[in-house]
Amino acid sequence: MSTTTFIRTEDLKGLVADLRAAGVGVAGPARTSDGAVDYRSINAFDDVVLDAQPRNSLKQFFLPPTEPLFKYQRKGSDVAILEISATFPPRVIVGARPCDAAAVDVLDHVMNWDYKDEPWFGRREATTIVSFACPGGDRSCFCTAVGLGPDATRGSDLLLVPAGDGYYVEVVTEKGKRLVDAYPKRFGAGAGVDATLSYREKARASVEGHVPARPDVIRQWVQEHFEDPFWADISLRCHGCGGCAAACPTCHCFDIVDEPETLDAGTRRRNWDTCQTSVFTAHASGHNPRADQCGRCRQRVNHKFAIYPARFNDILCTGCGRCARTCPAGQDVTEILTRIVAMATGQGGAA
Amino acid sequence: MTELRELARRLLSEGTVNAVLGWEEGPRGARPAFVTTPDGADRLIFDHRCVHNLASYLSPRRPHLKRLGKVAMVLKPCDARAVAGLIRETQVPRENIVLIGVRCGGVVTDPDSDAALSEATVADRCRGCPDREGRLADHTVGTAGPGFPGPSHRAQKIEELAAKPADQRWAFWQEELSKCVRCHACRQVCPMCFCDRCLADKTQPRWIESSPHARGNMAWHVARAMHLAGRCVDCGECERVCPQGIPLGLITRKIASVVAERYDFRPSDDPAVPAPVGTYRMDDPQEFIL
Repeated sequence: MSTTTFIRTEDLKGLVADLRAAGVGVAGPARTSDGAVDYRSINAFDDVVLDAQPRNSLKQFFLPPTEPLFKYQRKGSDVAILEISATFPPRVIVGARPCDAAAVDVLDHVMNWDYKDEPWFGRREATTIVSFACPGGDRSCFCTAVGLGPDATRGSDLLLVPAGDGYYVEVVTEKGKRLVDAYPKRFGAGAGVDATLSYREKARASVEGHVPARPDVIRQWVQEHFEDPFWADISLRCHGCGGCAAACPTCHCFDIVDEPETLDAGTRRRNWDTCQTSVFTAHASGHNPRADQCGRCRQRVNHKFAIYPARFNDILCTGCGRCARTCPAGQDVTEILTRIVAMATGQGGAA
Repeated sequence: MTELRELARRLLSEGTVNAVLGWEEGPRGARPAFVTTPDGADRLIFDHRCVHNLASYLSPRRPHLKRLGKVAMVLKPCDARAVAGLIRETQVPRENIVLIGVRCGGVVTDPDSDAALSEATVADRCRGCPDREGRLADHTVGTAGPGFPGPSHRAQKIEELAAKPADQRWAFWQEELSKCVRCHACRQVCPMCFCDRCLADKTQPRWIESSPHARGNMAWHVARAMHLAGRCVDCGECERVCPQGIPLGLITRKIASVVAERYDFRPSDDPAVPAPVGTYRMDDPQEFIL
């Protein structure tokens, strides 16, 4: 797919209204009661806030923080499993950031690896992602260092780039084309790609150079330095709070729990989990293979930049920088990756 | 700053301590620093962006920090209350730490803030703080501004909430706690949450459901509030780290005001002040006991 079209801002507002009128759920970055910007359900395009990176990512739309899988009922020595009928109503996300849209695509690998995760793909299929090219980031952004960019189309169904009195539209997928085809009056002729170039260049310049674009060097160093004083050094400040994992668009680990609701019945759920806590790897015996925060900090870097690349030939990070922004102790992934590249290329790296 | 760096350098070069915990300039503003060499002392800073409560790093459940050996810690007057709490509850032997008090006239909320310290930018918990200088210190360095008058906005919010009928308070907390994703960042960063195995992590039986639904979230936050009653030092770290923006300080401060009223205890930087939990007085209120 590589067709393009145009949508005026007024038509974009109209499109959101059309979708809502048709009973389609619409979500986008909007202000919360505490003044932050989160991806959340919206009723009108006027609610959308485009100049701030949302505090959360898109992952909760596909992997909710808690999700019932099935109910169980014990009858004597038998257990009956009661399916929870999952329906996934159509939804459009308007105003996704390219780093967040890409993250969903990155996660498709693991969600369809040894098992096809039905709720994940149910929501994936029901959701159309309309991304807006990013206006540029802050010092913690590094999407270009992981093969993406402020106007990357990966994971998006449509990518909109501001131009003239509206948005230049790149139709990325068949699903995106279906949305355009369903509302033909909303799309039409307008500014061409040339009108988007300065916006794209400015955005790219604001995120480049924060991390050396050397993912292969990082992967190799991490693979070869499972035991290294570097991990103990960076882990000192880590509280193990897992705020990084909660904010991360690609951290996807979950815990499965059975919650009794009566003596004989209950619900099996899956909940977000994080490798940054001690209980994540605690064995029933009491042994914990990751006995302290050194191993947990290493695991976060290792999984994203070495393990996932080795298994899926893809990086489990889209350079959004949320982990650095959210860390209460100033742990900074751009600094960690820059130091790794420096050590790997023989240019020092000690603090 | 020079005074602080020279003291840290001396403690490290004379071998009094193996590491100095303080603050440094990070990629995104001030952040905790772990200085292990005399020359590293030049990294240390202290200014109004040093919001972190470093006492959390003294918690005995952090084995990777214990390996540093004997440490000196730079502490604001409010942080001293947390260290005193850890000493009071026998988690940190006083003789094992060297305390470097810094005089403080208030901090901002965000360690990455470019804003100067002012009435508009000061952290809410600093409003009305009477302490420019901590009493629990082996050394005291620096100079401090005059501080900021109270009351805090949060104290006003607590009064507003208390004045509402129960169903409205319930609705307020139902909505706030519905945001919780149970990452437990509030626990991890809390200097007074030092249990080796938290109640919320126990599974046989599962006392507190780990799912971020209304039942699990309410159970967790009520348990947290009760366990911090008479112990919370109001450092505000739980609220600062919450990735969901839940006003956790409203809970801990409300409980603190109840403890102050009923048991005449306020978080103190004197470790000898007895903790209300674990102290019985003949005149303790007891009419709620059936």
